[in-house]
Order: sequence, then structure tokens, then C-alpha cells
Amino acid sequence: MMRIIIAGFGTVGQGLAETLHKKSNLLSSGHDPVRIVAAFDSKSFAIDTDGLDPMGLVTRKANTGSVGTKKLIDGTDVLDSVEYDVLIEASPTNIETGGAGLRHIEHALSRGKDVITVNKGPLALKFKELSRLAEKNKSSILYEGTVGGAMPIINLCRENLQGERVRSIRGIFNGTCNFILSRMDNGSPFEQTLKEAQQLGYAETDPRYDIEGIDTACKVVILANSIFKRNVKFSDVSITGITSVSTEAIALANDHDMVIRLIGEVSDTVLDVSPRLIPKGHPLSVSGTLNTAQILTDLAGPITISGKGAGRIETASAILSDLMTLMGRRR
Amino acid sequence: MIVNADVFVKDMPGQLVGSLEPISLVNGNIVGVVHNRDNKISGRIGVNITFEVGSAEDLERLKEIWEKRDVMISRMSSVTETFPTDCLLIGDISPSQIDKLMAKAAKAIDMRSVDIRYSSKTGEEKSAAMVSVSVRSKEDVLKFNAFMMSACKRSNITYIGSVR
Ligand SMILES: NC(=O)c1ccc[n+]([C@@H]2O[C@H](COP(=O)([O-])OP(=O)(O)OC[C@H]3O[C@@H](n4cnc5c(N)ncnc54)[C@H](OP(=O)(O)O)[C@@H]3O)[C@@H](O)[C@H]2O)c1
Repeated sequence: MMRIIIAGFGTVGQGLAETLHKKSNLLSSGHDPVRIVAAFDSKSFAIDTDGLDPMGLVTRKANTGSVGTKKLIDGTDVLDSVEYDVLIEASPTNIETGGAGLRHIEHALSRGKDVITVNKGPLALKFKELSRLAEKNKSSILYEGTVGGAMPIINLCRENLQGERVRSIRGIFNGTCNFILSRMDNGSPFEQTLKEAQQLGYAETDPRYDIEGIDTACKVVILANSIFKRNVKFSDVSITGITSVSTEAIALANDHDMVIRLIGEVSDTVLDVSPRLIPKGHPLSVSGTLNTAQILTDLAGPITISGKGAGRIETASAILSDLMTLMGRRR
Repeated sequence: MIVNADVFVKDMPGQLVGSLEPISLVNGNIVGVVHNRDNKISGRIGVNITFEVGSAEDLERLKEIWEKRDVMISRMSSVTETFPTDCLLIGDISPSQIDKLMAKAAKAIDMRSVDIRYSSKTGEEKSAAMVSVSVRSKEDVLKFNAFMMSACKRSNITYIGSVR
């Protein structure tokens, strides 16, 4: 049996619960059955060693605003009060301190538990420390959902492209920025497009995290550490956001058959997030909220992948993939 | 790459234009045209054209179009490979400032061609300029980009480099 705890029960936490419900056959047939033994949000928690009903948690959250009936003091108390195998960390990203997510992850790894995180903050700040902690305690930390949502970039590079030397990865890793820039291609001004993105639910009320390139920078750090085995932190990334991109600049690019996209680029020597000119028709000239990455390898040449970079079910799909990896390791 | 070619076109109205137009169809730039009416062979007149195209494939496409349009190629030579790169600058920029910057860049890097387009300034928005250059090598592309990036940083101008 695979006993999991879900930390954070917002968009992604609930999407995961729904996905586990939907895929219950897959998870129980031939593999260890997955059981949610605890779930918590910012104020409450629920525990049941026999397993919590995923849809029951979703319904209670929708009806009461809380995932559980018990008051949460600290997430680590929940981690201490029940036997579990895997912590799934889906609390808010905090790029200054790592937030509660970092504490949850450190707590679980130091006790030999496996961790799957979609929360980028802890990895962008302390990738090496967390990897070492996992190694020391013979546990694993998996994080496919932190970069590119449903686009399986980390597992692709680490597993399917094992024999290759990955020379560089560059891509569109933030759907909000790509939505804004592709709307601006048609002449909409930045401010108006940002408002539209907020109304459609693509951008947060405080959009700085996306438009100033912070989110993309977190992802670039994770790729640098995991694929390129570098030892870098968020503060090492050279970041330029999209706030100064004007409609006039976009029109000039258009006159030259090019578009502007926010590109994250990483290689052995590069760690950069900035708006770039992309020739129309190039794989990175895509429009809308899609994420796209171009992986440059020594043998296969360029490989391009694309997928939904965010969304509750899409992100849950990445968590599920990590969960299946852990199941495979246990067999 | 910069190409120099001697072609022969029929001595009829519109034929000269018909031989030049395909260069822009393959996204090339005309550098110079010498039209020599004295160089006439069996009803055709010679035209010497110097132009720049992005790649060998573009050159092949151009040759095909010329063939279809009955433009005879008698010689094609002095093919120098050049490497184009573009960057976009956004900020409080003036043409004189960019000219100075490009003069400085020209001292450090061998540039074959430079083209600068400015945005038509409207309202509150900051100005933008698209700088397109052709240099002699891939190393010079990197050198040029690094030069522009650090110059822009010093002057508080947003630098947008290109992905090729
Ligand atoms: N949304 C996506 O598509 C997506 C994609 C990839 C990665 N991510 C990452 O996944 C994480 C979750 O995203 P989300 O969209 O689900 O965010 P969200 O909707 O804001 O949900 C965050 C959840 O975390 C809970 N929480 C807040 N503080 C907590 C604490 N101290 N301890 C435990 N739980 C706490 C919140 O509780 P309340 O419900 O009580 O407020 C809420 O349930 C973030 O780190 C995000 O960057 C999201």
C-alpha cells in the first residue's frame, strides 16, 4: 500500500484528489493501492489511517472552505501524527524563504519519506540541500510538475534521453506571459492584455510573479540543477521580465517576421530568463498558454515538446507520473 | 551570405524588375545593381547584382525562381558567408545614441551590413529600435550580442536578443 499525505488543498491538491478518484482502478490494479491518509490546507486537516475518500475531501473543501474538520497549527504536526510513505507538497510557492512547503519537505525527507513536490520555491532556493537530505535518508524527491506542468520535460531528459548529452534547453515555461505576448501580437496593449489574462483566470491578482520572470526563473533553476547537474540558486539567474515590452516593439518585430516570447534558457554556462525575438514558424513562436521547450542534444539534435503548463488536472497528471515512478521503485 | 551574380534578362519593359523582385521573395536584400545596356547578347541585356540571402537554401530557391522567369544566370561568385543577427532595443533611445553605439560596435566587430529601424513613437510608450546586422562568423554573432547586451544594461535600455 502507498500511503500519501497531501499538503495544500487548493487548485492542484483538489485536482490530484479528483484524479486519484478517476484513476482508482489504475492505481489499485497491479500496483500498490494508493491511500490518502491525511490532507491539510492553511487552516485545517483530516486524517484517517484507513484512507480518506478523495471526492469527500473535495466536497468538504467546496462546501466549507476547509479540507478537514480539525484545526491546523503546523503542517509538520500532521506529518508526525500518521504513518505515511509519500508527502505530496502542493502549498503556495514562496521564493523568499521557501515557506511552509520547505519545512514540510525537509521534515518528510529527514524521516526517510519520499516527497513529490509541485511547489517550486523550496527547489529554487535549496535544490542541493534537499537532494543531499534525500540521499542521506535513502528517500526520493520528485518534481516533474514544477516545470512545464503536464509537459514531461524532466523525466524525458533524465530517462528517455539518458545516452544523450543535453547541450541546452530553452523554452516557454510560463503560460501567462505567453498568453499576454501572443495577444499583444495583434496590437493589444500590455495593461489591457494583463487585465484580460486576470479575468480569464490565467494570471494571479498579483501578477508580478509571472510577468517579472520569477516563475520562469524558478523553473530554469530546477532544470539547471536536475538536468545539467549544476549547483545554482534562484539568485544566480539573470532575469528580465516582460513589463517593458511595448506594442511598438512587437510591431517592429512583426515587420521583421518575428514575435517576442519570454524564454528561459539553461546550459552548462547559461542561466537566463528574458524576452527574445523568435522567427515566425520557429517551434518557440507558439501562441496562447501552451508551454514549449526545445532540448538541444548532441546525437538527436533538437527535440521539441509542448504541453499545458498549468491547470489542476494537468499538474495532477505530472504528480501521478511521479507517483507511478515511486511505485515502480518499490516493486 | 553575400552573392555577386551576372544575369541576362530580355530587353523588354519590366524584365529588370522581374529579375530583382525574386530576391525579396526569398527574404534577401539587394546591395547593388549595375545595369549595362552595352553588354547585350542575343536580345538580352546583362545585369550585375550584388545581394544578400540568409542561407544556401534561399539561394537555391532564388535560382529556381529565376529559371522559371527566364532570367539567365551567366556567373555567380564571390560568395561570402555572413551571419545575420537581430536585436530589439526598448527605452529612451535616440537615433544619435544608437549611431554612436553602432560605431563603437563596428570598431570591435567586423560587420558586413547594418540596418536599423525605429518605431513610430506614439503616446506614452518608450521608443523601440530593431538592429539587424550581418557579421563574418558565429563567434562575431556572440560577440555582437554580448556587446549590445552590456551597452544596453549600462544605459538602462531593455535588450531583446534573438533565438535562431
Ligand atoms: N495551479 C497550477 O496549475 C500549478 C501548476 C504547477 C505548479 N503549481 C504549484 O503548486 C502549488 C499549489 O498551487 P495551487 O494553484 O493549488 O495554489 P492554491 O490554489 O492557492 O492552493 C494552495 C493551497 O495551499 C494551502 N496552504 C496555504 N498555506 C499553507 C500551509 N502553511 N500549510 C499547508 N497548506 C497551506 C491553501 O490553503 P487554503 O485553501 O486554506 O487557502 C491551499 O489549499 C504552488 O506552489 C504552485 O506554484 C501550480
